[in-house]
Amino acid sequence: MNKPVWLSERVQWIGAFDPDMRSFDVILKTPNGTTYNAYLVRGSEGVAVIDTVKAECADQFFARLEAVCTYAEITTIVLNHLEPDHTGALPELMRRAPQARLYISQSAQLMLKALLNRRDLDFTAVSTGDNVSLGDRNLRFLHTPYLHWPDTQCTYLEEECILFSGDVFGCHFCDERLFNDKVGDFRFAFEYYYARIMRPFREHVMKALTLIDPLPINMIAPTHGPILRDQPTRYLQRYRELSGQRLHKELNAGEKTLIIFYISAYGSTTRMAQAIRDGAEQVAGVRVSLYDMEGGDADLFIDLVEDADGILIGSPTINGDAAKPLWDLLSAFSMVNVRGKLAGAFGSYGWSGEAVQMLEGRMRGLKMRVPLDGVRVKLIPSAEELELCVQHGRTVGEHLTGSNAPRVIDMADLLASRQPEVESNATLTRE
Amino acid sequence: MAKAKVTFSDVNVTVNVPVGTRIIELSEAVGSYIAYNCREGDCGVCLFEVIKGRENLSELSDQEKTVLRAHFQEIMDGWRAIGDLDKLQARMQRENFIGKHCRLACQTQVFGDVIVAPL
Repeated sequence: MNKPVWLSERVQWIGAFDPDMRSFDVILKTPNGTTYNAYLVRGSEGVAVIDTVKAECADQFFARLEAVCTYAEITTIVLNHLEPDHTGALPELMRRAPQARLYISQSAQLMLKALLNRRDLDFTAVSTGDNVSLGDRNLRFLHTPYLHWPDTQCTYLEEECILFSGDVFGCHFCDERLFNDKVGDFRFAFEYYYARIMRPFREHVMKALTLIDPLPINMIAPTHGPILRDQPTRYLQRYRELSGQRLHKELNAGEKTLIIFYISAYGSTTRMAQAIRDGAEQVAGVRVSLYDMEGGDADLFIDLVEDADGILIGSPTINGDAAKPLWDLLSAFSMVNVRGKLAGAFGSYGWSGEAVQMLEGRMRGLKMRVPLDGVRVKLIPSAEELELCVQHGRTVGEHLTGSNAPRVIDMADLLASRQPEVESNATLTRE
Repeated sequence: MAKAKVTFSDVNVTVNVPVGTRIIELSEAVGSYIAYNCREGDCGVCLFEVIKGRENLSELSDQEKTVLRAHFQEIMDGWRAIGDLDKLQARMQRENFIGKHCRLACQTQVFGDVIVAPL
């Protein structure tokens, strides 16, 4: 029981199996559990422990560690990622091996203090280009932030070409055979982990791959799931594919895409959506698509959302709120990176019309850009109001292409139009 | 109250503001591409470029200096990865790591007319 696993003569897996876990970090289902992978590297002049495990699994970790070294031998502790499932056993490890030097990334420093709530911590912050020597074994650090926290880094064992990658290239898959050429089919787990954990950070994945690519790789040793020793570069290639363009390129160079999602009870918001589309399409270089969310589920659209330059959402106000399918759509936005995309809302209403500003607030909260106040129409849009929708669409299109006219505004007016109070913002009550 | 003009060149909007206003109070409201995250001067995400009028901005606090240095390290790493060393050196020379042209929107206050843009 609790035996370590040899990756090579000098490198052992000393992690923990957690086969009964069924949901991870709230956002992931784990139908066959997970592993917390920690490793031990032995050099002629020192021993390094790379990452630890979740606190609840610490007994497994210490039993495996004790089978291959004594605490007094440990010179070095490396943390590639500070999430509690990899740092849970750290305080106890530091108590048992107080002489060991702790190596973390630059961005991990404040996090470590907040995680352990200790003031007397001593550590070395490292980045790309820094090394730590264990005599005839040397560890090199790679600064690979935002995979999937700001603190993440990779550690490379020079002499054996093993990449200790942290969460990147990992997955939740618990199989005691541990190596990718021995375990069951974990392709689903690998893809699912990428989609839910790494995808919002795909630009950072690409940057990390450029750092990793020049290195010869014999093995990738992530912090969850199988150790990738059979054709490891296949997994780098898969990450490259997954982080690239999802949909084939349909657009001409310089063309911008605007997607209008809407839902409508009596057709008023539909007519507004169509008028806004007509306006936006008048702007050269803007391609507009219209989707009625009554006919679609949020998950279907996530690839399109990731690729879009601008997104407008139209909703009637029902019981003082936007319609549920649109909230469902917005709750799926965090699966991809929408920061900085142009956004806006519009809709028809009967009494009070809160939906538009609530949707705008949510999109601002997602750090999308909302440069224009949304159009709201009381009940059925008149011909004049539809013309205002066309104009609004044109302005949105101009913002997308950067051809909008200069505007000067007073700060008080700017902030007043951002207040959640609705009556002060009745933009279309002109007779 | 004394006023200043802040122009966000990416969205072509100029805002008349009372002096002392922080850039981030405006950038989000006008929908500028200047991104942000923590709003506390910690994460470095709201880094923006001063096109004109840097003498009209508040002086750098120690906090901002620290984060700018940390963030430039990240930018350097990014460039090192891409291999665009000329661009990196040009930026380093221009900046000298002390926020001459690049500031944090959540820390920077306006005391006169400026033109700003996302980085």
